[in-house]
Amino acid sequence: MLELIKIEFLKLRRRKLIWIMLLSALIMPFLTMLLFKYRGQTGVDPIQFYKWSAFGYNIFIILPVALGILCSMLIHEENQHDMLRQLWIVPVSKMRFFFSKFFVVLIYSVIFMLITAIASAFFSIVPGYVTFEWKSILYLLERCLEIGVITSFAMLPIMAIAVSKKGYILPVCVTLVYAFCSFILMPVNMYLHPLCSMAGIIMRNKDIPGLTFAQTINVPLAFLCICVWDIIAVLLAKITLERK
Amino acid sequence: MDDFVIETKQLTKVYGEQTVVNSVDIHVKKGRIYGLLGRNGAGKTTIMKMILGLTPITSGEVFVFGKNIKGQEKRIYPRIGAIIETPEFYPNLTGTENLEIFAKLRGTSAPNAIKNALEIVGLPYKDKKLFSKYSLGMKQRLGIANAILHDPELLILDEPTNGLDPIGIAEVREFIKSLSIEQGKTILISSHILSEISLLADDIGIIDHGVLLEESSMEELKKKNGKYILLQVSDVPKASLILERQFHLKDYSVHDEQTLRIYDTSLNMAEVNKALVVQDVAVISSQLCNNTLEEYFKKITGGEGIA
Repeated sequence: MLELIKIEFLKLRRRKLIWIMLLSALIMPFLTMLLFKYRGQTGVDPIQFYKWSAFGYNIFIILPVALGILCSMLIHEENQHDMLRQLWIVPVSKMRFFFSKFFVVLIYSVIFMLITAIASAFFSIVPGYVTFEWKSILYLLERCLEIGVITSFAMLPIMAIAVSKKGYILPVCVTLVYAFCSFILMPVNMYLHPLCSMAGIIMRNKDIPGLTFAQTINVPLAFLCICVWDIIAVLLAKITLERK
Repeated sequence: MDDFVIETKQLTKVYGEQTVVNSVDIHVKKGRIYGLLGRNGAGKTTIMKMILGLTPITSGEVFVFGKNIKGQEKRIYPRIGAIIETPEFYPNLTGTENLEIFAKLRGTSAPNAIKNALEIVGLPYKDKKLFSKYSLGMKQRLGIANAILHDPELLILDEPTNGLDPIGIAEVREFIKSLSIEQGKTILISSHILSEISLLADDIGIIDHGVLLEESSMEELKKKNGKYILLQVSDVPKASLILERQFHLKDYSVHDEQTLRIYDTSLNMAEVNKALVVQDVAVISSQLCNNTLEEYFKKITGGEGIA
């Protein structure tokens, strides 16, 4: 499996867009810095800054959309050019092929959130909006790692759709709908959508100020929601790949 | 069964209501080149895809190295190198980088495997040209390099000379021959070009509309179908009637208004000539001719022929 994951990264050589997409991890930390500069606040609670820079739009829009595009790109070329048959002849196990792609998404997601964490720390501490504290930095890193890992699992349904379709337009469109649906479903029922459930897990301690939830946070139920969606996604991918 | 590297039994493929491969039994012997010949759409690629598990088999069985492929894919496929249709690779990588990926997937341990494979097909090693910039011929060569990269015992090559220039075709032909003669590899090759197969194959299977019309060694085929009698007469319908009624001949064809071809060369032509003349049919000429393979294929595929 490790070899397959390494091979997946070899396939990404010269795919500049994938690496350029990582720059989108800087968007929210930078905009948050501008917001605090506009407000003229200094010495603010670090969590208040990180709420905007790392735990807000990043987890509902930017990261899911970036991962959705990545899923489509990882699979599109092999699907489009009928390259899969070259792999099946080797032979490469179809599910190992699928999971190797998933691990690339997971690693990418973690790197993305680590960049967000570093940028958040940089844009908050260097201009002096937040005073340096190891405790808050470690909190930020821990939460960003959690977001990175859980979001990749929450994006498995998009990966399954990318595997089942030849083009990349539909998976990208579904990603956008999927991300916006999480906004709509969050106040209705946060255990229906994996991204909402992921947000519930991240904010389980209710230690991020200014966030209120319509339901009580139930971490096992949130994990169950993600698991159910992931099982369906894996089954869909298995059925689709068996047909290819 | 052990003598055959590939053996299919009643292999059938149905897409919707269309039967594209119909009860095909092919037998590929060890160390020989088997040419699967047929027009475009005859079912050659589908047969190869079924052997390689790339398309489900509707009915029938495939045995490779004496084992039914069903459930044995992981053991059998690493011993096979294949090209199906035009081979595609990662467009953002060079030829060498693409082969590195496949070598890693196969666990190829030979240190110079990639370099050797590229040298054999005449492509540069560690070249900076990306696959997306490759010509069709270069893509085909890279596909062949990928097929031989892991030194497989069996090669399945679907129209491997597609897109190659005449010199490239000759080079690939010689290379395929040398793999069989020098390294004893078994090769199943498909083509719609008769001359290509007749120059390469030891055994041949002729497929048309999904049906295997004939399977024999090339040597036997050449011996069996080389001759016919060319008969030129004044009245072809009357001559046909005489041949059918008096000589019970069925294996003949009408070529034009004055010409008949009789494929049964054991016929006593002196008696035929005499019978025709007696019944007022003038015999303009009667001669024994050698048939070309192309004409033979034209005959057995129902007149449509093969390029």
